[in-house]
Amino acid sequence: MKHLKPLNEKAQLLDKAAEEGGVDEVVAMQTVAGCTATTDPGWEVDMFGGVAGLCQPMEADLYGCADPCWWPAQVPDVMVTYPDWTGDAPSAGKDWRKLDAVFPEDDS
Amino acid sequence: MLNIGKLTRAMSLLALTCSAQVIAEASPPVPSSPREIIVASCSGCHAQNGEGRWFRISDQRKTPEAWQMTLVRMELVHQAKFVDPAGGDSQAALRTLVKYFADTQGLAPAESAPYRYILEQELNTIEQHDTEQFRTMCARCHTGARVALQRRTEDEWRNLVHFHLGQFPTTEYQMMGRDRDWLGLALNEVVPYLNEHFPLQTDAWQQWQSASRHNFEASWRVVGSMPGRGAFSGTMVTAAKGDDHYSVAFNGQFEDGETLEGSGSAVVYTGYEWRASLKLGDTRYRQVLASTSDGGELTGRMFQREHSEWGLRMQAVRDTGQSSVLAVQPGHLRTGSEGSLRIVGTNLKGDVNLGPGLKVLETVSRDKDQVLVRFRAEATAAAGARAIKVGAVELADAITVFGKIDRLAVEPAYAVGRVGGNEGSQPAVQAIFEAIAWGAGDDGQAGTADDLRIGPVTAQWSVAPYTEQAVQDQDLRFAGQMEKDSGVFTPAAAGPNPERKYQTNNAGNLKVIATIEQDGKPMQGDGHLMVTVQRWNNPPIR
Repeated sequence: MKHLKPLNEKAQLLDKAAEEGGVDEVVAMQTVAGCTATTDPGWEVDMFGGVAGLCQPMEADLYGCADPCWWPAQVPDVMVTYPDWTGDAPSAGKDWRKLDAVFPEDDS
Repeated sequence: MLNIGKLTRAMSLLALTCSAQVIAEASPPVPSSPREIIVASCSGCHAQNGEGRWFRISDQRKTPEAWQMTLVRMELVHQAKFVDPAGGDSQAALRTLVKYFADTQGLAPAESAPYRYILEQELNTIEQHDTEQFRTMCARCHTGARVALQRRTEDEWRNLVHFHLGQFPTTEYQMMGRDRDWLGLALNEVVPYLNEHFPLQTDAWQQWQSASRHNFEASWRVVGSMPGRGAFSGTMVTAAKGDDHYSVAFNGQFEDGETLEGSGSAVVYTGYEWRASLKLGDTRYRQVLASTSDGGELTGRMFQREHSEWGLRMQAVRDTGQSSVLAVQPGHLRTGSEGSLRIVGTNLKGDVNLGPGLKVLETVSRDKDQVLVRFRAEATAAAGARAIKVGAVELADAITVFGKIDRLAVEPAYAVGRVGGNEGSQPAVQAIFEAIAWGAGDDGQAGTADDLRIGPVTAQWSVAPYTEQAVQDQDLRFAGQMEKDSGVFTPAAAGPNPERKYQTNNAGNLKVIATIEQDGKPMQGDGHLMVTVQRWNNPPIR
């Protein structure tokens, strides 16, 4: 990283995390059962193992990431598998309460 | 004039018609066989290619949950309809197929054993993967267990790669996808790896198919522990309903006397996979248990359907009339102390012997399945795990004797809670912690390999910001509440929060602190809690 200069706040955070050895910690956290290790952006945790670098709020960018199935194991992907998931909720920021879980309830 | 003859005939005809209707209503059509359902529901795409074999289907083995997920995906993605030619219900036909596939193309007990945490919904498990490539290529979106709980031919593993790229095309340009030849690596390195480690044909499966199957109709003695609630003991009575289905009556209580009682039904898949749905009080529970090869024990986890974070790790032991000691509650005591112990077992007979230095002062109560005693531990009693006896029956490592607590750990050391509620569809996911006491062991140094695990102890709980960023973002104020007496953290409401910077969610990065007092001095242990956002995709294997 010594040849790269951080220009924005997120880049400064990355620089700081690398200096403090925080990146190793991130690797351990990414393996919590069922959480995604895709962190660009992340769903459960950000690149630094925290939550401050997640989309803020998540609803502001939810459809931008659900459409291209960025975290298909956590959020229904609208591009292929669940095209109608957001049908009743055109604005995630306003309508997030209308979003349902997709795996059917098993009453057996 | 009334024609008695015609009236009599009419009434007889009416009676016959009514009887036929009653018989029709009382006797639903006999469901079709699984193979008939496969022909009617699956063979349009999955052509039959031999006796009892179908294209692609027959080249895979999975757990019951994985077969359910596959069949549900066929419904959702390919609009498959599960049809019972005899006229039965579509969902019943789906359940019949899950049972058939799990029985005939399931996993052997040894194959599922390393990955039961995901079936049991132990979602704070930290997965350790064999290779970095497996982690980045397979376990980047979902658990590695989801892969390792399948067995396929090499062609089928290859098909799974192509399925992923077709279904989730972003895979190639996400982080850890765009920086490498993802498809080339997947096909040329990962597929051979998966075929080597998780092949369709294995000795374990071959042997399990010829192993004897058991009838699970029995009375069972249940022992266990639920984090956040404590030790548990009870009974489970099961009655066979045919075709590996059982009725279940469950009854027991926690250490503090609170009961857990109700009933439900169970299905045994693959000869050993016990799955039960119970309603205990007002709460629905799911049992995910595995039988031992002799059919004598069922072990696993019983968790709440709506809040799988609340779960009882349990062992159910078949009552065969033999005497057995199953647990001592609590499982640890301090030298120089006096107190009470509950010894749980079956058909207990004879005196309680706690071993050298532990004296039974009084038998407070006893019946055939438990004994409550008061004890005194000598100051010189040897520290360590020890066996106890009731009559001639012994339980090894039944109780841990300790002189003092040398360190305190928080379990889980890392937990994920999720915001929820606030009129959204997903409830908050709580995080439930336990304070685990440890002794220093023979070397006298706490934190070394020979430390003695004493067990869970009552603590006072608090949370603090984990990082400077968490301080700045006021995570402590917004993320939720820790119950100071129980170690249960309840995340705050879902949705954008106008009071936070950027209206961000009530996520938070928190340190969890357990505090106990020993001989007038405080001692602390800590863990890490990530309060994060909800998820809307919650299949039984994540």
